Amino acid sequence: MILFKAVTVKISLVITLAVTLLASPCLVAKSQEVKHGENKPLPKIIALAPHIVEMLYDVGAGAQIIATTDFADYPEQAKNIPSIGNYIRLQLEKVIALQPDLIIAWQSGNPSDDLARLSQLGFKVVYSEPKTFSDIAKELRHFADLSGHSEQGRQVADEFLKQLGDIQDRYRDKQPISTFYELWSRPLTTIARGSWPQQHLNICRAENPFEQVSSPYPQVNIEQVLKTPIRLIIQPLSVNQKDKEGFNWQNWPTIKAVSENNIITPDADALHRMTRRSLLALDKLCSDIDKVRRSYLSGI
Amino acid sequence: MSQIRFNLPVKLSLLALLCLGSIGAALTFGPVNISPQQLVACFSTTCETPVIDMVVFQVRVPRILVGLVAGMGLAIAGAILQNTTRNPLADPYLFGIVSGAGLGATIASITLANMLTLALPLAAFLGALFAVIIVVLIAKALQRMEQLLLAGIAVSFMLSSISQFLLYLGEPFATNRVMFWLMGSLARVELENFYVISAVLFFALAVITAFHRHIDALLLGDESAASLGVNADKLRLIMLALCAALTATIVAYCGGIGFVGLMIPHIVRQILGVTTIPLILGSMLIGGTFILWVDVIARTALENAEIPIGIITSATGSIFFLLIMYRTRKN
Repeated sequence: MILFKAVTVKISLVITLAVTLLASPCLVAKSQEVKHGENKPLPKIIALAPHIVEMLYDVGAGAQIIATTDFADYPEQAKNIPSIGNYIRLQLEKVIALQPDLIIAWQSGNPSDDLARLSQLGFKVVYSEPKTFSDIAKELRHFADLSGHSEQGRQVADEFLKQLGDIQDRYRDKQPISTFYELWSRPLTTIARGSWPQQHLNICRAENPFEQVSSPYPQVNIEQVLKTPIRLIIQPLSVNQKDKEGFNWQNWPTIKAVSENNIITPDADALHRMTRRSLLALDKLCSDIDKVRRSYLSGI
Repeated sequence: MSQIRFNLPVKLSLLALLCLGSIGAALTFGPVNISPQQLVACFSTTCETPVIDMVVFQVRVPRILVGLVAGMGLAIAGAILQNTTRNPLADPYLFGIVSGAGLGATIASITLANMLTLALPLAAFLGALFAVIIVVLIAKALQRMEQLLLAGIAVSFMLSSISQFLLYLGEPFATNRVMFWLMGSLARVELENFYVISAVLFFALAVITAFHRHIDALLLGDESAASLGVNADKLRLIMLALCAALTATIVAYCGGIGFVGLMIPHIVRQILGVTTIPLILGSMLIGGTFILWVDVIARTALENAEIPIGIITSATGSIFFLLIMYRTRKN
């Protein structure tokens, strides 16, 4: 119980991040009815995370999903898929009753003991664990192969990598700009190496002064921020965090980014989602950062 | 007194019947609809379908059996600790067992994330035992075994703070894993877990039965017990080690299930009295039955999800406790 009280903030942070990573509405994918081989029926799939559901729709396997977990709300059809649990616990009885041919699970986001039990009961369990943008392409191909949609999967993954390469090329030689990424306001929490948004900053050539901190989502003191030459503040806001108030930066006008009003507020839901759509958010973020960079450079 | 003696077998028989009835009833509850007739078919001949067979024998039966022995074990651990320390608030969890198990689970979650199925219960068990050993060593160093509870609280805070620090530095999902694991669940249990917990439970029962007169003597006070030839400190140590092993085994497989060890013995004392044998038998039957029904609520209350069992035991336990306090005040 003591532990419970003390890490409540971190838990709420992780849960909110997990939900916002995966729960926002996004682009519409087409589903196709394709036969897996000549006479073999397409496998029935249980997809245990919203980003897996989205990837399956992306490769045309959406119609094969027979169950998922809470917060799988994209595309619109996904809202009709029955839920058999959440990030805490799966209902094993329901999984058994559904008799899926394949279970695709989120390794760090699903209860590992339930997944081990399902494997033990003879169900085929494969894992999703995207850590980088390239992993998304790999998983799109992998899930497409498993679901009988190899061709569409290859096309979608190639297109994804091409778009990613274009964005990387566009910003590769830009001058770095010192940036503070506000993941959470109370307590003030930022990102570091190993976190999902850090790669966004790297691609957009935004320099994070806290990148080398050992915890991926470190809490920081405002004094630590004050002593760094911050030129830009990124304050992602989510529609799922209705009560969240961003940190009030206006109280700290000595920070260059504040005095120059260089605070951008991208959509957290789109930015933090580990799917094909995250590229759109990345593109928009890089473009916004670049505007600040250009205004800063032109003022020198 | 004679009335209590006369009634005791009847009361225990009724509790045993309630427990057996609860086992049968608990089998019929779950997200998959299985009728009593289908259940009877499963146990008398063969199940109607392979799906029903798997649900009944791979999911529900292990859950019910583990829930039963876990409830029994936690309740008798609480009863024994309350009697040997003569402290009505004594509970196995107050000796740092859950905090120790939490530290073990935290280390396993951070360092052995890919083999948690085996590593987590083992690490939790070792962590719980480590906590109890530290508590006992501190109490012995102070040469005051009656301060076991205070030492337990201090160790509990210390181990929790280490866990928090490790979780703060570790990857964020490890925090989730440990937190939800500590809330307790029977969803992950297997039949092998039932055998392990049962073995420890039977061993504990054998030791308690052998020492039951000594424990009863302790109820009269340390001086009276000493005059009857009972070494109070030694007996407390043996009982604490026994309860620690039992609770650590249960926590390792089921996570944190709070309040059972504290609440059930209080109910049993009202029905069967304070002496060891009736108290233990009653605690086993009521503790086992209680967890069976709590687990039924855990797996059926929400349509598409499960409620961690520790949430329900703590909620019901705290309400129960307030009612007892209110009743005591009225009397």
